[in-house]
Amino acid sequence: MILSTLTAENFRNLEPEEHAFHPASNIIVGQNGQGKTNLLEAIYFLGTTKSFRTTRAASLFRFGASTLAVAGRVLRDGVERTMRVALETGEIKRRLLMINGERMPLPEYVKAFTVFAYSADRLDVVRGTPDDRRRFLDRGIASINAAYLDDLSRYHRVLRQRNALLYEIGTGGAGVRSLDAWDEGFTSAAQSVQRARDAYKNELAEAFERIVAAHHYHVSGVRFEYRPNVADLRALRKEEVRARISLAGPQRDHLDFTIEGRPAADVLSGGELKTIVLFLKFAKLELFRRRFDEAPLFVLDDIDAELDLRILQKLLAGLPASTQVFATSAKEAFLEALRAGPHRRLTLENGRVTTSTEFV
Amino acid sequence: MGEAEALAHAILEVKERIIRCTTCNNMTDVDPCAICSDPRRDPSVICVVEEAFNIPTIEQTRDFKGMYHVLLGALSPLKGIGPQDIDVAGLVKRLSPGGVHEVIVATNPNVEGEATASYIAQQIHPLGIRITRLAFGLPVGGDLEYADQVTMSKALEGRREI
Repeated sequence: MILSTLTAENFRNLEPEEHAFHPASNIIVGQNGQGKTNLLEAIYFLGTTKSFRTTRAASLFRFGASTLAVAGRVLRDGVERTMRVALETGEIKRRLLMINGERMPLPEYVKAFTVFAYSADRLDVVRGTPDDRRRFLDRGIASINAAYLDDLSRYHRVLRQRNALLYEIGTGGAGVRSLDAWDEGFTSAAQSVQRARDAYKNELAEAFERIVAAHHYHVSGVRFEYRPNVADLRALRKEEVRARISLAGPQRDHLDFTIEGRPAADVLSGGELKTIVLFLKFAKLELFRRRFDEAPLFVLDDIDAELDLRILQKLLAGLPASTQVFATSAKEAFLEALRAGPHRRLTLENGRVTTSTEFV
Repeated sequence: MGEAEALAHAILEVKERIIRCTTCNNMTDVDPCAICSDPRRDPSVICVVEEAFNIPTIEQTRDFKGMYHVLLGALSPLKGIGPQDIDVAGLVKRLSPGGVHEVIVATNPNVEGEATASYIAQQIHPLGIRITRLAFGLPVGGDLEYADQVTMSKALEGRREI
């Protein structure tokens, strides 16, 4: 999968110009605040329709703009496609996904182009809230099984219906027995989400452990614990009616990273945490490659001295040659691993690419 | 004058003349509707649908010879639609004299349709009448690759010998 060009309109501070990329590595340099990360974010957004930094779509719009669009040409299996994501904010919020000018539903769209991102914000996977980790699981599963998005949205739909009913019961608008009609569908939707999460966690943990061992990293005892929240809805009914909300289900699942029973985030240093998250990212990449026999795009944001650069170099060298990489750093020296091979170097100033040079 | 007025009249006439069948809730200009009053149809099987416009889809197959019952909606607490807002009571009333031996539930395969099917099943079970649900499966002409997990597991559940 190769992204050959990208154009962003009203996307953060990026100027609406077409950028050409190198099929191997792309090094994006510039002072802080010039838009390096924004460019990576636009690439990630084109593939996933999401940001890797924020869950608030509103923050992606250039100040004062009510529409934004990112478009790019993607080469895959010898076929070039034009992909485009457009958002509209304000009174009507809309998202338009297009491939070659044709509208696509989300699961179809995201299948066409896969991007993995590593960024400092991604430390939330280990350090953040349970919700961050559930999202991490869900995105990972969706990356290798787009149909999972349908299962997830079915679950959220039945959860919302059930919560609305619990509220109605709590306020006297409906009888307790009316839950009977919803519990079966709720349970089966919850099970399909939890089965997928459990299977993915096992696969990921296994790939992760192998990568950590292969690099002889000194932190080796990280365990993945997935605790699905399942309950006998009959036994829970009284409590749920009192709470007026569903008290069990995937929205309360836990994924914990522990070391000898303690949360990894409490035990590890900042640098160790970053390296662990990097390993995690490479484990995700491996699961993707195993499934699709092709390499997704890989964006690395803000490589800094805290990260074990020797390990980063080895990890990058271990990627299949066909992997297209995009990386930013405030210090170009940190991107040494990429500068050694064929690459393009883009300098960003104030949202505009001022120099773009190819080193073959 | 002319076409526009004729069209306006036609719309008005439809609005005035179309009524709900008092037996099955289908849209009709005579009561009972053409299906309910057709002596060639089998009154021992009732197919339950959410809306009247679901009936032509099933009729097109020409495979179903029984009767219909239109619920006029599906359960949806988010829209404030509860059991009293859909016509399950009318269905139960049609079943109580006996003579019906199968109810086919053909509500939509989404979460609202599923909950509605569960509700109907719970109401009918005490009557000892056979209840069936339309099979879910893979779209004909579709690719296995594009099936979501629920569709796939429903299709597996409903597999048959060949």
